[in-house]
Amino acid sequence: MLDSPISLLQLSRVTKTFGPVKAVLNVDLEICVGDFLAIFGPNGAGKTTLLKVIAGLTQPTSGTVQFALQNYKIGREKVGYVSHQSFLYNELTGTENLKFYGHLYGVSDTTGRANTMLDKMGLRDACSQRVRGYSRGMKQRLTLARALLNEPDLLLLDEPYTGLDHHGSQLLTEVLYGLKEEGRTILLITHNLRAGLELCSRVVIQNRGEIVFQGLRQQVDVAEFEKLYFQVVEDSKGPRRT
Amino acid sequence: MNQAILTWILAEKDLKVECRSPQAFLTTIFFAVLILVVFNFAFDPGSQATREATPGILWVALLFPGIIQLNRSFQSEMEEGTLYGLTLSPIDRGLLYMGKLLANWAFLVVVDLLVLVVFIIFYNFSFSVQMLWVALIIVLASVGFTAVGTIFAAMLCSMRTREVLLPILLFPIIIPIILAAVNGTQEVLILGETEFLKRWLQLLISFDVIFVATGFLLFDYVVAD
Repeated sequence: MLDSPISLLQLSRVTKTFGPVKAVLNVDLEICVGDFLAIFGPNGAGKTTLLKVIAGLTQPTSGTVQFALQNYKIGREKVGYVSHQSFLYNELTGTENLKFYGHLYGVSDTTGRANTMLDKMGLRDACSQRVRGYSRGMKQRLTLARALLNEPDLLLLDEPYTGLDHHGSQLLTEVLYGLKEEGRTILLITHNLRAGLELCSRVVIQNRGEIVFQGLRQQVDVAEFEKLYFQVVEDSKGPRRT
Repeated sequence: MNQAILTWILAEKDLKVECRSPQAFLTTIFFAVLILVVFNFAFDPGSQATREATPGILWVALLFPGIIQLNRSFQSEMEEGTLYGLTLSPIDRGLLYMGKLLANWAFLVVVDLLVLVVFIIFYNFSFSVQMLWVALIIVLASVGFTAVGTIFAAMLCSMRTREVLLPILLFPIIIPIILAAVNGTQEVLILGETEFLKRWLQLLISFDVIFVATGFLLFDYVVAD
């Protein structure tokens, strides 16, 4: 018998407006434990705002975001977030940054955990350097290490491939595969259709704040999906809904 | 983890960042010394009127440059979005406020005590026991100043006009602190007596408690969205 999926996150009629602009519009979305959800959409579609709402960084104008239905416990300490910004202190070293966030998230052995993450991200040699001296790719890997420090049940990734070189992208894909294997729940926003479709178990397309398509990865034909995506991108070039 | 330890970890991070990139420290000191120099040239240094105005001059030199640090403390958190990193973490947001307050206060006390030394030299005062009372007034007044300043700096950190708005909002609120600090300093430096000093110190402590408690309770709403 198949285990029924455990709902981790439920978004009901979520709308977020900034003045007259509807950044997120009537989004209904259910994310279950172990889901790897890829959200695609053109620039300005509202993907980042949606992720911010889920992370609790901004409150929805209307609608609800409900965590942990049934008996699944989750709180802020179990959410990892990779944003456009690194959330890292440039004047602190890589180790100091991770230890600082480790303390905030109540990680028991902060030094050990920081070293593990630095090893995993290939940053051990640079761990005592200040982050200001890191390259864009190194910073992005440290950002990922920060987000994974607390072993999150829900990982929110907003275009994590940005600024990564080939090696960095490969490393990130490997890490994401590893997390998928571990059964972690991941929400990935990316413009990289190939990487997103390769990793995800569910796909969503968001345009002008609304979710215009969602489906299981295995039911999606890549060619059809690409066609739909590019049609949405073309459509997004028209005047924005207010 | 113990809340006091967490508060210290937050403050230590800010102090470490400031020590490694002491822009605000150097600017604040320079601005404060500049104010003392300007007043020194503007008034006749030997006159009684100037002597009576020295408590006011000292507090102008202590309070206005403090604005630089308050602005800087949250501006630096915006550069890499670290303020979001902090607010996303599961710790009580009141503790984020306390950590920031502690760091700002420690920073200002160090700056202010250095400025006091320069003030003593420029305005011909002596390093006496009386100066310990002035130092105590500085320590207490800095608590109230940073308590209100930290909450306003957090409110204004994403606004383009924050440098102008912060003093406009801050100074009217901390009038009781300024009043107590200037009058207390006058008691010690000019009148040379400590008879009414206790009252000014009590006023300072009362407002410190009110401002810190208010900031602790309000910070969650300030960084909410």
